[in-house]
Amino acid sequence: MKLIEALAILKGAKDRSTGAFTCFLATGFNPLHLNTFLTAELALLFTDQKIQIQNGLYGDLLGNVSRLEKAAVEVGIVVIEWADLDARLGIRSSALSSPSLCVDIVETVRTRASQIQRSIEATCQRMPVIVCFPTLPLLPISFVPGWQASSLEIELNAIMQSVCSQISQCAQVRVLSPQRMDMASPLPERHDVESELLTGFPYRLAHASALANLLAQLTRQPTPKKGLITDLDDTLWRGLLGEVGSEGISWDLDHHSQMHAFYQRILGALASEGVLLGIASKNERAFVESALGRKDLALPPMVFFPIEVSWGAKSEAVARILKTWNVGPDSVVFIDDSPLELAEVKASHPEMECLQFPTKNSVAIYDLALRLRDLFGKSAILEEDSIRAQSIRRSHAVANDYKAARRTAANFLEHVEAEMSFDFTKVPLDPRALELVNKTNQFNLNGKRFKEASWQDYFRSPESFLLLASYTDKYGPLGKIAVIAGRQNGRKLYIDTWVMSCRAFSRRIEYMCLEELFAKLGVDDIELDYVRTERNSPLREFLAEVSGGASPKCRIYRHSFEKRSNTLREPQEMTNG
Amino acid sequence: MDEMEKRLAACFSAVLPDLSPEEIRQASPTSVEGWDSVATVTLLAVVEEEFGITIDEEDPARFDSFKNILAYLQQTVK
Repeated sequence: MKLIEALAILKGAKDRSTGAFTCFLATGFNPLHLNTFLTAELALLFTDQKIQIQNGLYGDLLGNVSRLEKAAVEVGIVVIEWADLDARLGIRSSALSSPSLCVDIVETVRTRASQIQRSIEATCQRMPVIVCFPTLPLLPISFVPGWQASSLEIELNAIMQSVCSQISQCAQVRVLSPQRMDMASPLPERHDVESELLTGFPYRLAHASALANLLAQLTRQPTPKKGLITDLDDTLWRGLLGEVGSEGISWDLDHHSQMHAFYQRILGALASEGVLLGIASKNERAFVESALGRKDLALPPMVFFPIEVSWGAKSEAVARILKTWNVGPDSVVFIDDSPLELAEVKASHPEMECLQFPTKNSVAIYDLALRLRDLFGKSAILEEDSIRAQSIRRSHAVANDYKAARRTAANFLEHVEAEMSFDFTKVPLDPRALELVNKTNQFNLNGKRFKEASWQDYFRSPESFLLLASYTDKYGPLGKIAVIAGRQNGRKLYIDTWVMSCRAFSRRIEYMCLEELFAKLGVDDIELDYVRTERNSPLREFLAEVSGGASPKCRIYRHSFEKRSNTLREPQEMTNG
Repeated sequence: MDEMEKRLAACFSAVLPDLSPEEIRQASPTSVEGWDSVATVTLLAVVEEEFGITIDEEDPARFDSFKNILAYLQQTVK
């Protein structure tokens, strides 16, 4: 982004009237154009909000990090440069080092880095903190030639690595990736010596722009995609299965097709992170089964579910997979080597991310790996991630079992040995609760999303409560699958947020959640902050059953719920979770 | 208004967004309330980026008005 473009974005965002997105940018240097670029990048991300960035005092990084601790903002951003840790490492006060001076600089940096670390650890209890470690090269102040790493350079980097390693363990700290910074902004093109000397702003504009872009991305990481559908021939492996048979396809060095083995390992890694993997292939099923049965496949074939093999349109196979997964096309990535197939799928599912597999360009597989990392990346892998794919398989088994036995919903749950557990713990907040709230669309009371800081603030009120429901049955655990957040006032309950994972549908979990609320909190009347959204029809249908209709501030009374709940334990159609 | 003048006016408009086109042509730190030192630094950075030049800032007085900056550009940019 050019500076003039950033200023134009700021101008366009000036009159936004809705709530503000606030953050504190703590630097030791004059933040000047970094402020401008960051404001513009945030304005592009938070399209309906005013952007307000607070800064501290120029030349006082330590003080600014302390100020951040007390600042009433949603996100803190700390950008550290060497000169902020010891002025002698900056061009304005640089000193050619003697051995004794080196020792002194190292000690100063160690002490200040440690103070900054403590401040960040305290601040991240209240808000997410984004940290950027030095992006500018160390000045050539050591006595060794430039091509030799000096002990000063090695020791200073070790201090930074140590601090970085420790604070990155904190749940709400996000460290800017130095590797991604290097890719976005080449090291020799970062430092603007003249600007630093004249104004105290040390970055060239292109570097400030790249840095602001990455910092902004860290403030609101996009919702990760949930599933990946892959083609087989010339994608998962090299060769056409129908022509060369399962022994003729390859992903190895001998056939110059290792890029497919790399792709298989990428998929294996995604599966272990909870990403759903499906196959859409135009092939003969028997051939595919034989190929997936090969022992040298770099990932276990069971990670793929469902496997759609037919000669029909790929878009139809993709639609069947989406239905099985019960996810929208916007949550899924489709990968195929054929531009024609990609275009056909994209035409039917325009919201789907369709990526071409670079069969003829092995260098581009690295770019694909980077792209997939960004699309599926998440800050932490939760227990639910590891059981997601299994639970979808089980949902199919459950649905089949239900149909076969023609059971009622109530005795079906008994039959599958369903067990629910409810957790009302508010401190510490389970990160799974916010994750569910921010990614669930269908069984969602009102579609409200929360930022971490506002989610934490919500539960500071003593009237607030959080219910996190977990489910397991004889087919295995579904994990934590429902969240209800609200406030209690005597015998009345206000539910502000209610979401349930689509994997948990058709198990009457929503009824059991209400039963638990009535029983545990001793209330007689529950008011729900219902808002119709484009996708929350399952919630709407449920409210129609228990509340007589879905409307804003609709209510559920204990006596009528108990009466209805008994009636509703009649046979009902089992839907596929 | 020639092409260079238009591009410079766009730079001024980005940095001092409340000025009308006429006010931009008459703009100087004394006539524009928002033209402070930060605006000067930002304006010069935008002009450098827009015209792909590095401005010699030894004589900041040369950059104290739209007219002076335009004159500088007409001499410097080919």
